[in-house]
Amino acid sequence: MFELAMSTNNIPILRIKGKIIGNTAVSLKNEIDSQIKEAGTKLILDLTEVPLLDSSALSAIVATLQKLRQTEGKIVLLNPQKSVMNVLKVTRLHSVLEVYDDEDSAIKAFN
Amino acid sequence: MAEKILAVDDELDILQLIEMTLISDGFEVVTASNGIEALERARIHKPDLILLDLMMPEMDGFEVIKNLKQTPEMRNVPVIMLTARAQAHERIEGLSAGADDYITKPFELEELKLRIESILAHTRKAKYINPLISALGDWFTEDGMEQFAEHLQTASAIQQHLLPQSDPELEGFDISGLLESSMSVSGDFYDFVPFEDNRLGIVIADVRGKGIPAALLMVMIRTAMRLVCREDISPSSVLKRVNDLLVIDTTPDFFATMVYGILDPNSLTFTYSNAGHCYPMLLKGEKIEELQTGGMILGCFGFAEFETETIELEAGNKILFYTDGLTEAETKAEEEFYGEERLKQVFKKNSDFSADELCRKIREDLFGFCGTNQQKDDITIVAVKASASRN
Repeated sequence: MFELAMSTNNIPILRIKGKIIGNTAVSLKNEIDSQIKEAGTKLILDLTEVPLLDSSALSAIVATLQKLRQTEGKIVLLNPQKSVMNVLKVTRLHSVLEVYDDEDSAIKAFN
Repeated sequence: MAEKILAVDDELDILQLIEMTLISDGFEVVTASNGIEALERARIHKPDLILLDLMMPEMDGFEVIKNLKQTPEMRNVPVIMLTARAQAHERIEGLSAGADDYITKPFELEELKLRIESILAHTRKAKYINPLISALGDWFTEDGMEQFAEHLQTASAIQQHLLPQSDPELEGFDISGLLESSMSVSGDFYDFVPFEDNRLGIVIADVRGKGIPAALLMVMIRTAMRLVCREDISPSSVLKRVNDLLVIDTTPDFFATMVYGILDPNSLTFTYSNAGHCYPMLLKGEKIEELQTGGMILGCFGFAEFETETIELEAGNKILFYTDGLTEAETKAEEEFYGEERLKQVFKKNSDFSADELCRKIREDLFGFCGTNQQKDDITIVAVKASASRN
């Protein structure tokens, strides 16, 4: 479901596989929280293989976004599928979240 | 994740046979050939179940059970005794020491598998129920549970009372709505607010999540809306004020989406603002337009701004409001969503029915699609039909 990788300049990339709904969204929140606790305030969420996320998943992302803003940290989204991008557009979260199509740009966002 | 079984037996051929069988059944297996080894492996591997031979050298099975029961983190791991002897006194001694079940050698592998499965089914259930029991605290008695159920029913009734009790009457319009909760209380709501100037406020909202937490917030938002919305305040200003209130009063992982609009029978217009809610559909002839104007989800960002749009309606125009519990409903096999496209087709096909019937037809189609037992989220549908012509 979740797989953690490190970019060349040490930005953690959390790669997610599958729908993030219900209990999976709760696990995502825990995963993000523990990641932030351990590794600091930068995180890339790789959504390449996520066909759908529900409101609980959105809330996990929004809560992280707000938390990291206070610490000058950042969470960025990588390569969301069309269906996920659509949810971000309807909720207008795409206007406050940084979204990148490729990994290089996502990593550069932290420079 | 595969469940882990610790198999303990001093006869290695039996141990291997058990190991192979359980691995092919998808379990993770750890083995030990005497009591001391068993306790050590149990501590390291934290198994979900222990298969324990009773007659072993060094430390026998009874000792192992007693030891496990004295170790807090091991106390609840179920134990099935394996024994060659069928004497009743051994089984009794094992069971009274705390073993959960026994099986006598020689045994059928099929029987072993069934017993493991039945014990694990119990522990799986306990995993879900235990947090509930500890949350209930002193309530977890027969009286307490009865009272709890009663409270939940009352909460549901309070909430039901906050929903429209009948369809609103507005000259030139036919309006109806329905709400299907996935639990006894709901995070969705819709509301009709009659204004003195003969216009009608329409609200549809979806609080993130479901069940009790969502229901508490639903009540809060519904109240905030009723206090803030007035005929002389634009929908975008109403949403902004409600957003400001929610940002202060809610935790960061909370949000809600909402559409609020004012239907004007005099000018035949609908003036609305959409806060991150799935787009209402406006059906004009055969064409569907989406009502997208507005702003962000509510409750997260104090800086959120909202816009208002006014659309002109013609006789025969219909507006369909809904929550995403409808479009995100899945088939039983979880391979297909109800989706917006299907909703559009069903909306068009049934748009000549009354608003009330239209809502029911959509619900009927949804339940036909995913089955009534499959509902995972609250579902709200509101339909508005314009029947009068512009003067």
